[in-house]
Amino acid sequence: MGPNGAGKTTLLKLIGALLLPSEGDIFVGGVNTVSHGLEARKSVGFVLNEERSFFWRLTAIQNLEFFGALDNLWGADLDDRIHELIGLVGLGDVADRPVSGFSSGMKQRLALARGLIAEPDILILDEPTRALDPIAAEELTELILDRIHQDSRKTLLIATHRPEEAVRLCNKVLVIDNGRLKGFDRIAELSEKGMSLLEYYRERLQADTE
Amino acid sequence: MIASLRKAWAFLLRDFRIESGYKTSFLMRVVESMTLLVLFYFLGELIAPGGSPALGRYGDRYLPFAIVGVAFARYFDLTLKMFSESIRLAQVTGCLDAMLSSQTGCVPIVLMSSLYSLVSGGLQLLLILLAGTLAFGVDFGRINLPATVLIFLLSILTFVSFGVLSAAMVVWLKKGDPITWILSGFGAIMGGAYFPTSIMPGWMQKISLVLPITYSLDALRLTMLKGYSIGMVANPVEILLAMTAVLLPASLIIFAAAVRKGRREGTLLEY
Repeated sequence: MGPNGAGKTTLLKLIGALLLPSEGDIFVGGVNTVSHGLEARKSVGFVLNEERSFFWRLTAIQNLEFFGALDNLWGADLDDRIHELIGLVGLGDVADRPVSGFSSGMKQRLALARGLIAEPDILILDEPTRALDPIAAEELTELILDRIHQDSRKTLLIATHRPEEAVRLCNKVLVIDNGRLKGFDRIAELSEKGMSLLEYYRERLQADTE
Repeated sequence: MIASLRKAWAFLLRDFRIESGYKTSFLMRVVESMTLLVLFYFLGELIAPGGSPALGRYGDRYLPFAIVGVAFARYFDLTLKMFSESIRLAQVTGCLDAMLSSQTGCVPIVLMSSLYSLVSGGLQLLLILLAGTLAFGVDFGRINLPATVLIFLLSILTFVSFGVLSAAMVVWLKKGDPITWILSGFGAIMGGAYFPTSIMPGWMQKISLVLPITYSLDALRLTMLKGYSIGMVANPVEILLAMTAVLLPASLIIFAAAVRKGRREGTLLEY
């Protein structure tokens, strides 16, 4: 968590090997993302919050076919995986329609399917509910909680502005501001101390140094 | 290798599916090509066969000279621009980030993003040559096919090298790509797409000698219109070969460095 411009997206993109650090190294599952970016990406799925990150004239299935091929999936394996994911994110009825007709919530579900296509160990979600109305945001949170978080036991890294979302989806919270770490704690321990996540977040942002 | 071919197919299929959604797009390009043919047909009518000594090297008639020049210059222009345009498009549409988060590197993504342009541009090139033959009676009966194919491939590799450099400029500078400007419209005029370079003043001819298109078009006209063999066009072949040998690896290294810089500074997705 962190305010706008704190560096949340930058941090996630560094972990996902989309960006390179100006100095130092980042290891994901023991793989150096600086020297072995493609190798590191095998264990990372990225769910972008950019609605336009799909080819709008292609259908949901055609988009997943393309992005699946970029992740070295093809043939029957890819087809099976796509149909499994389309069912998982609840887009079965619209899978053959162009993405241009999708709502923001549907595009975000499709982004989730794309992030999961290569069965990554780590799923990075960059403000997944940012552009969604409250109902669509709730549905997506439920989807992540019920179908991905609980079922597959993946590591989820989520950037969010919403404390209630973090409380439901995460067991640890990291607060950053201006590119610096301001706090890192277990959410359960905050509850034990009688502190809400919002209070913790405020307190950490006001702290002068890490 | 098989993985790369499968990915290349995925890019071709993606672009074919998108392009087929624009029903009139291909038709408009065909109409544009035919309009050009008509234009050069009537310009050719102004010059009687054998009326220009400068055309003698290529067979005396202007229309075959112009058709080969214009058709190939357009294709080379496309190979020059396709990489930077595919990057631009991916940046603008927001898909670059999504592609870069996959298990495919940036350089293959950019190279494969341009495959469809290469294929559809090739079809247009063939269409222009075919229409020139069928509708305007241009005679390619003396063509030396192996020599033509060799020069064509070498030329593509040379222009692809410049195209990759141009893409590196786009990644690096975002705007203002001098390579495309020099080699595109200016290159077509100075390189002899519309008239023989021999009619230009000496200082302009010297400039044309540093442009790859000059060698490509000269050699293509000689092999297609006069049936020259590879040995007879050895000089332009050697020059194109040297340009490719130096520029292709250099351009890929420079492009990879530009991408790395963009990823380090976070500017890769900016446009």
